[in-house]
Amino acid sequence: MTRATEAATAIGILGTIYLALLFQWLPITLPPTIQEFILPVLPWWVLVTFGAYSLGNIGYHVMTFRDCPEAYDELQVQISQAQNDLRSKGIGL
Amino acid sequence: MAHLASFSFTSSPSNSASSLSPLLQSHQQPHLSSPLQDTLINIDNSATMTNSYKYSVLLPTYNERENLPVIVWLLTKTFQENNINYEIIVIDDNSPDGTLVVAEQLQKIYGEDRILLRPRAGKLGLGTAYVHGIQHATGDFIFIMDADMSHHPKFMPEMIRLQQAKNLDVVTGTRYAGNGGVYGWDLRRKVISRGANFLASVLLRPGVSDLTGSFRLYRKEVLSRLIESCISKGYVFQMEMMVRARQFNFTIGEVPITFVDRVFGDSKMGAMEIVSYAQGLWKLFVAV
Ligand SMILES: Nc1nc2c(ncn2[C@@H]2O[C@H](COP(=O)(O)OP(=O)(O)O)[C@@H](O)[C@H]2O)c(=O)[nH]1
Ligand SMILES: [Mg+2]
Repeated sequence: MTRATEAATAIGILGTIYLALLFQWLPITLPPTIQEFILPVLPWWVLVTFGAYSLGNIGYHVMTFRDCPEAYDELQVQISQAQNDLRSKGIGL
Repeated sequence: MAHLASFSFTSSPSNSASSLSPLLQSHQQPHLSSPLQDTLINIDNSATMTNSYKYSVLLPTYNERENLPVIVWLLTKTFQENNINYEIIVIDDNSPDGTLVVAEQLQKIYGEDRILLRPRAGKLGLGTAYVHGIQHATGDFIFIMDADMSHHPKFMPEMIRLQQAKNLDVVTGTRYAGNGGVYGWDLRRKVISRGANFLASVLLRPGVSDLTGSFRLYRKEVLSRLIESCISKGYVFQMEMMVRARQFNFTIGEVPITFVDRVFGDSKMGAMEIVSYAQGLWKLFVAV
């Protein structure tokens, strides 16, 4: 199964269960608060939550993305070492 | 960190890993699952390597006249200091700046058994450069890295150690975990990089933290197998290699690396790259 079919399957199953509950196709009676107030807005809640999670995740990782100036400084030193050594071996740089 | 926590290759052994096993059986144990946490422990750096394997480094170059000598110098230094048997394969696509001339000079200094030149007549792209290079590789393991010094050879001994300690098929450098990091990136580039990686991790759930990185160590047969099965180009190619590796139940480890943006020459990262990245990502989502 590709990731796309996996996702489609999961969305299909969850969507069917949701619609069945929303339109009371099943002989199940949910508490009226859930039936009347929670179910109708559930998809929006999921969407907003996922959006907030995504932004939070990306924002957190951008903020904690480590800068490594020490790696740059080390490289600069090594570049000039390498260039000096290579020049002494006859490479035109 | 949800996508990090899922780092384990425990899917049922039903798929294609078995078809490769005749090739790998000689030196491969059953695939073990390895939580990311385990693979990130710092392994003792001081010990020198006692290891009879040979390592081939594939260095694709296009206009790297200034970078190539320095990266080769750093590579040979690292390998000599760590007693690692190596060869460096330079795949130059007829760079107009004369990279090949410099490569020939380097070959004279370091020897024809250490520096192999496998040039091509024109700019044919990175993906095919690896295909071309691997055909000439005599090593048991292959390093893939950029020649622009954004990938530092100092991380290679650690990648080798992790590979050996866990008998892994692939070890990939990661800028996004542990002590990894970047230098020379502004906020915009960081946001793009993080956003792209997040999107990919949600859609593909690959189990590695740095999908688009290209500093990696592969078992040779594993790399051939992966290259054979990959359909993408550009940035997405590196991503697909990881996704396919997961699909084939290859084991993957990660070593944190620092990434210093190229000092000499220009890098390309514009709107076009972002669009083709998104297209490539979608293709993988549907295909793998
Ligand atoms: N042989 C070959 N090498 C290439 C080609 N394009 C890029 N490279 C090399 O691939 C590496 C990565 O390229 P770079 O421009 O740094 O890409 P970036 O880091 O993603 O911006 C460098 O070593 C380049 O010289 C190509 O068409 N042919
Ligand atoms: Mg680069």
